[in-house]
Amino acid sequence: MRSLLASSLEDLPTPTKIVEAESGFEALRFLPREDFDLVVTDINMPDINGLELVSFIKNNEKYASIPLVIVSTEGSERDREKGLGLGANAYLVKPFDPDDLRQVVTDLLAASGSEG
Amino acid sequence: MAARRSSRKGAKASGTDGKSAADPVEGAADEAAASKDHHEFVAEAEEILERMFEDLAELHDQRHGEAGEVEPDLVNQIFRSAHSLKGLAGMFGLDAISELSHRLEDILDGLRLGKVAFDSPAVDLLDDGVSLLATLMTRLERGEANGDEEAEMARTFVAQIDGAIASPAPESTDELDALDLDPSLLRALTEYEEHRLKENLRRGRHLALVDSTFEIIAFEEGLSELSSAVREVGEVVSTLPSPGDAPESQIRFSLLVATEIDVQHLAARLDDPTIEVQSVKEGRAPETAPAEPVTSGPTVDPESDSAPDSTPGAPEPTAADPLPPAGAGGGDAPEIDSLRSISDTVRVDIRKLDELMNLVGELVIQRNAIGTVAQRLTEDAATARIGAELLKTHKTLDRKLKELQTGVLDVRMVPLRQIFEKLSRVVRRLRRDLGKDVDLEFNGADTELDKLIVDPLVHIVRNAFDHALEAPEERTAAGKSARGRIAVSAFQRGNHVVIEVEDDGRGMDAEAIREKAIARGLISAADTLSEKDVLNLVFEAGLSTAEQVSATSGRGVGMDVVRNNLADMGGMVDLASTPGRGTTVTITLPITLAIIQALIVGVREERFAIPLNSVLETMIVEPEQIGRSEGREVLNLRGEPLLLRRLGEEFEIPCAGPEERQFVVVLGMGEQRLGLLVDRLEGQQDTVIKPIKGPLQQIRGIAGATELGDRGAILVIDVSAIVGDIIRRREAA
Repeated sequence: MRSLLASSLEDLPTPTKIVEAESGFEALRFLPREDFDLVVTDINMPDINGLELVSFIKNNEKYASIPLVIVSTEGSERDREKGLGLGANAYLVKPFDPDDLRQVVTDLLAASGSEG
Repeated sequence: MAARRSSRKGAKASGTDGKSAADPVEGAADEAAASKDHHEFVAEAEEILERMFEDLAELHDQRHGEAGEVEPDLVNQIFRSAHSLKGLAGMFGLDAISELSHRLEDILDGLRLGKVAFDSPAVDLLDDGVSLLATLMTRLERGEANGDEEAEMARTFVAQIDGAIASPAPESTDELDALDLDPSLLRALTEYEEHRLKENLRRGRHLALVDSTFEIIAFEEGLSELSSAVREVGEVVSTLPSPGDAPESQIRFSLLVATEIDVQHLAARLDDPTIEVQSVKEGRAPETAPAEPVTSGPTVDPESDSAPDSTPGAPEPTAADPLPPAGAGGGDAPEIDSLRSISDTVRVDIRKLDELMNLVGELVIQRNAIGTVAQRLTEDAATARIGAELLKTHKTLDRKLKELQTGVLDVRMVPLRQIFEKLSRVVRRLRRDLGKDVDLEFNGADTELDKLIVDPLVHIVRNAFDHALEAPEERTAAGKSARGRIAVSAFQRGNHVVIEVEDDGRGMDAEAIREKAIARGLISAADTLSEKDVLNLVFEAGLSTAEQVSATSGRGVGMDVVRNNLADMGGMVDLASTPGRGTTVTITLPITLAIIQALIVGVREERFAIPLNSVLETMIVEPEQIGRSEGREVLNLRGEPLLLRRLGEEFEIPCAGPEERQFVVVLGMGEQRLGLLVDRLEGQQDTVIKPIKGPLQQIRGIAGATELGDRGAILVIDVSAIVGDIIRRREAA
């Protein structure tokens, strides 16, 4: 799933470096290492869930402004509402069209004015 | 667990049959390719299916068990199996199998989320569904599958599933909102976690919040330790990360935990003052018979030899129970037993072990005293018989005490091998994260170390990998091999264990560190510090965060924490570096409270103890054997000159004249040799080295003091200091 996400994002209009994390914990370790412009996360992960990751990012001054996209098979209304309620900017339900993801990501990057 | 065994056999049988008949290739290359594909699919799917059979048997056992509760992780496991099978079948274009797995996944998802009840007819359909999957796979493997028939079989079955799953009413969240919980935690729960929370509430379990803060670069080890400790007595419903007090370097985790034991007992079990445990909701004592363990891990019953076969929910009551009953009511005791049986390990505060070690040390001294008394009794004819008896008892006491010593030491010590394994895992992960490659070398895996060393060591190796080693391109450009090298070596040096972490990375830039230290006000520009002292400034708190030095020196993350941790253990950390060539971090730790064999020597009225492990040999020297070379006394030891030193002179005790016969104790430290001249050898003895407080502490050459049973306290020689000093003096001269 991750590589699928990454390959969907490879040909964004602006050249973008994609860092893939294998789990929520890995994402937590990666966050301080680079200045990320956007985070895409699944809900179901082996350690922490995507909502918890979103909550961590939004509660941390340093990362709070990073736009967030949740991608999940769980199309349940509750998880969607929760994700958006926690501050996620978009929610895509798997299986999604790679074009949709590209569009969402491009728009969010443009809106936050920090492409690259 | 008869059901489990028989169903497993069933699964195997279908697989083996398939294989034995798998030779149906007749004609067209397409068909041969398809058959090869199918064979591949079945080989992989068989394993998944077998696991599903086993897990389903377990699920039925649990659901019909006394507690009637199914472990959530078991359902998750079957759910994942169905999901994998669906994906696998999809890849091979096997629509019927994929569709069928998909529908089984639906039932299982309903079970996970509490939307399908465990007594629903849909649950029984799971078995039929898995059997049908086995049939479909057998047909495939035998080449009997034609697609249409399979599709029809799957369709019929799917219709049955649809009939069995009633559309569920959504669960209300009111009871959760009423909990005394931070809304941000509630907001981050997935639907599944909400369901688990409600299920635990329904079962009257205690809810607690367990908070702990970790260094962000090494949180996983600590967190997984905490989670597994909690899982021994309950379920971790959610794990919410938040920024720590120092958001740059720390991360805090809040574990929402459901347990059968109340918050006091949970806190006592975790027994760590840095972990906050607070109650969210008091549970109620279960009204009915003992509930099955809430654990999600495997249950191990130490009372039973065949643990996995013991009936869940009906543990044997045990007499001795270290945990007081939780909550009120007589129905608690068997429950605690069932919790206790989950794990056969206990977490013990390391300070308690220290106290035990101290006690053992005291006993050793008492034993020595008894030995002396017994010896004296045997020397007098009137008491010789009773003395002999006492000597015998003393011998037994001696043996048992040794066992006790080893036992207590063992609990505290961990062979470096285990730490090495942990380091390998850390490095494997870093390799992936950072795209650097490294050869990790370990030496001295059998050296035993105090458990507390693990964290600082992981930290140092991480640092070496993260900051000291350059990226492959940079290394190649500098004329080094693309792969970096980190060597971790441990060895004993006198009363110390030394651990060296050596890397061949970019080294540290002393000048850059000096500038930073001046900028930070740690030193003044006028200070003249040796390069070594400058390098060691990275252990200062103000200098040890990544942004401050890593760009130039490539090091310094959390090094102050490392130094403080080591200092707490009575250890030291030291650093040497050559720019462009690499860095070596040396940790020196005392062999804490270890009982060591010592040689007791005498100089005039004084006595000293010398740790026997640094003594190579002893001999008598006549005055005429002692020669002089460059103003120093030397002995010709089998053709090699051995530098001599009079122990008395070291401590300013009036010494024997050169005309007297002396004993020489040959000390060895690594490659260095030194002969120590003493008046007497008084034998060897087990001693416990205790640190000295007060002015004597400052004296170089004294490692501590020890008691000699009846004969009072004597000083223990610090061999590494004496040998080191003398060798340095010689080099200086």
